[in-house]
Amino acid sequence: MNSAEELKYLLPASVISVGVQTNKPLAVIKKEDILQVAEKVKEMGFDNLSVITGVDREDRIEVIYNFFSYKKKQNLVLKAILDRTSPSIDSVVSFWKVADWLERETYDLVGIKFNGHPNLKRILLPEGWMGHPLRKDYDMSIEQFVTVGEDGEDIVSTDGSNLLRGE
Amino acid sequence: MDPVTIDTTKIRTTKRKPETALEKLEDTGMINTILAAKDREGFILLTTIDQFINWGRLSSLWPVTSGLACCAIEMMAVSMAHHDIARFGMEVFRASPRQADLMFVAGTVTKRMAPRVKQLYEMMAEPKWVISVGSCANTGGPYHESYCVLKGVDNIIPVDVYIPGCPPRPEAWLYGIIQLRQKIKNEGYGVKWGLNK
Amino acid sequence: METETFLLNVGPVHPATHGVLRFKLRMDGETIRDCQIVVGYLHRGTEKLGEMKTYLQFIPYTDRLDYIAAMPNNYAYVRAVEELAGIEVPQRAEYIRVLVMELNRIINHLVMMGSLLLDLGGSTMIMYGFRERENALQLYESLCGARMTFNYIRPGGVREDLPDGFIPKLNEFIKDMEKRIVDYEELVNGNEIFLMRVKNIGVISAEEAINCGMTGPSMRGSGVDYDIRKEEPYSIYPDLDFKACMRREGDSLARYLVRLDEIRESMHILKQIVDAMPAGKNVNQKYGMAPNTGAPTAVTSYFPRIFTPPAGEVYCRIEAPKGELGFYVASDGTTKPYRVKIRSPSFCNLVALPKMVEGLKIADLIAVFGTIDIVLGDVDR
Repeated sequence: MNSAEELKYLLPASVISVGVQTNKPLAVIKKEDILQVAEKVKEMGFDNLSVITGVDREDRIEVIYNFFSYKKKQNLVLKAILDRTSPSIDSVVSFWKVADWLERETYDLVGIKFNGHPNLKRILLPEGWMGHPLRKDYDMSIEQFVTVGEDGEDIVSTDGSNLLRGE
Repeated sequence: MDPVTIDTTKIRTTKRKPETALEKLEDTGMINTILAAKDREGFILLTTIDQFINWGRLSSLWPVTSGLACCAIEMMAVSMAHHDIARFGMEVFRASPRQADLMFVAGTVTKRMAPRVKQLYEMMAEPKWVISVGSCANTGGPYHESYCVLKGVDNIIPVDVYIPGCPPRPEAWLYGIIQLRQKIKNEGYGVKWGLNK
Repeated sequence: METETFLLNVGPVHPATHGVLRFKLRMDGETIRDCQIVVGYLHRGTEKLGEMKTYLQFIPYTDRLDYIAAMPNNYAYVRAVEELAGIEVPQRAEYIRVLVMELNRIINHLVMMGSLLLDLGGSTMIMYGFRERENALQLYESLCGARMTFNYIRPGGVREDLPDGFIPKLNEFIKDMEKRIVDYEELVNGNEIFLMRVKNIGVISAEEAINCGMTGPSMRGSGVDYDIRKEEPYSIYPDLDFKACMRREGDSLARYLVRLDEIRESMHILKQIVDAMPAGKNVNQKYGMAPNTGAPTAVTSYFPRIFTPPAGEVYCRIEAPKGELGFYVASDGTTKPYRVKIRSPSFCNLVALPKMVEGLKIADLIAVFGTIDIVLGDVDR
């Protein structure tokens, strides 16, 4: 049996359904049990966390984890469904250190909060940026500008008059 | 007496090829020289203030290293052995803007980087020039519709020459440098200092 | 004597940071106690643009991610779209794709070696590296018209077939490169100053490297024998004979030598491809574009104007020169992707850097950083 079916066999209460993501086994899990599932997945030998993706569907937000095992040469995909008004899930940074920056990026661009993350701040956009750009309801018509304050940190505002040259 | 007819088709004016350094300088058309009298050493140069100052400024512009994105790799290719930028006196890329007089803005200027680019420009000492290289620095380029890209670096600093391309070929780069040199050559300091009154 | 630590900023504009990257270092004299990396100065919003452009229009944006070696980026995205839509690719097109990707691997490693040596103070290697790179870029220019941002690999095959005279010139390039690589080894590998600056500096163990998400040649320098081209092969790699280069020490010298070995392996692969190149079509005829015969109205395109792959999602990973490059593409049945997510190798390779430089001197930061080989277009997207 493939790795998603094995996970369902080991943790039947946490896995909602088993499917396929084009050619990789996919397991949809409950978001409250993510830490237990992560521990089991690490025990099964998946030591490489490739990517964490956040997708904004119209009525929900999905977070997708892609794993790979160097020893067993197998793939596994985990998907968790979060609600759109306040999406949050526990952080897996204690199992895979690369989740540190991957989760920060997902928080920055899609707006998912990861509980238990040591340093959940914006990483690609400056600190005071308003909104999460990869949401479908992000307003592209508001232009935000960045200036540098006294201590070298960024200040974001919608008024660019002290940066732009007047014509 | 018979009039002397001169067959003008057989007269050829010969222009000597310039040999010494001074003759080559004359040949550029910017400076005329008078050899001083035999019992005095030294030379007298006849030129205009504009031409002399501009010749000094354009011959060896030193750029500051401000490559931001993909166009920076073409900047490295231009400064390497195949397309040699040292021919124009520019192989010395200064890391400190205080010691440079030319800024190549090469690459996309994002909103987060814009105040730093402006600060870099303000730290350079006069006289200074800016060349905007690549379509991202000219107008925002392929990233024009993005939420975090400045639509052209001329929104924050004044630009002298724009070089289009994505990325521009090294030959286009060198053409842009030659256009800048033409522009500097035609600058008029006499008018600026009020010497025409 | 009372001392205290101070904050040193290695700012976004710096000659040795390979772009706009910022370090905030907490220093105790010359020793680094803590290193914080600030990225995002080149964030251009590529993923959002992926939702605003069609599938074919997004391919030039993938070039600008890792702009030193742009072909593998094209290929990873195009392969994800092909898996989603079920498009078959002819054999000759696959051979051409692997040829251009391996040539890109060679020039990427040349730039890395050159800039590492330049940061350490020696300017000869970068001159040699860029001299070889010019020859390869002229090959690419005869092939697709561009030197750096190729936009050459399309769904269904490649844009144009190889021009006449390409293979003889490629053979000349390989012969030339074999002589020059001996030069590079003699110049650099035994140099005492270089060895003192990179040997036993920035050591990382294999488990730490895997846990911190490091992939590619940097991970293989720590003893992990894993190469996606061998373990999960794609395209024609099952038919090719090569080995994954690996060293065990885990320091900066090991990462440098792995890349030198990879240049040799890539040349070996190129020779096999040139010998075994099949004849045939360079593109799946349903999706290709007819070659431009020069007359203004003679260009016809078979690529469907409305290209809608079925709804679904796919994640596809390949071995780019810098590490593991992955594209996640989700489609909802319309002409534009619903979501494009890029897993870039340079972003994940940087997670391990603060651990590697703790306790080293500030000059060693530049040596370690140069061997991880990042490019900022990939980190910030």
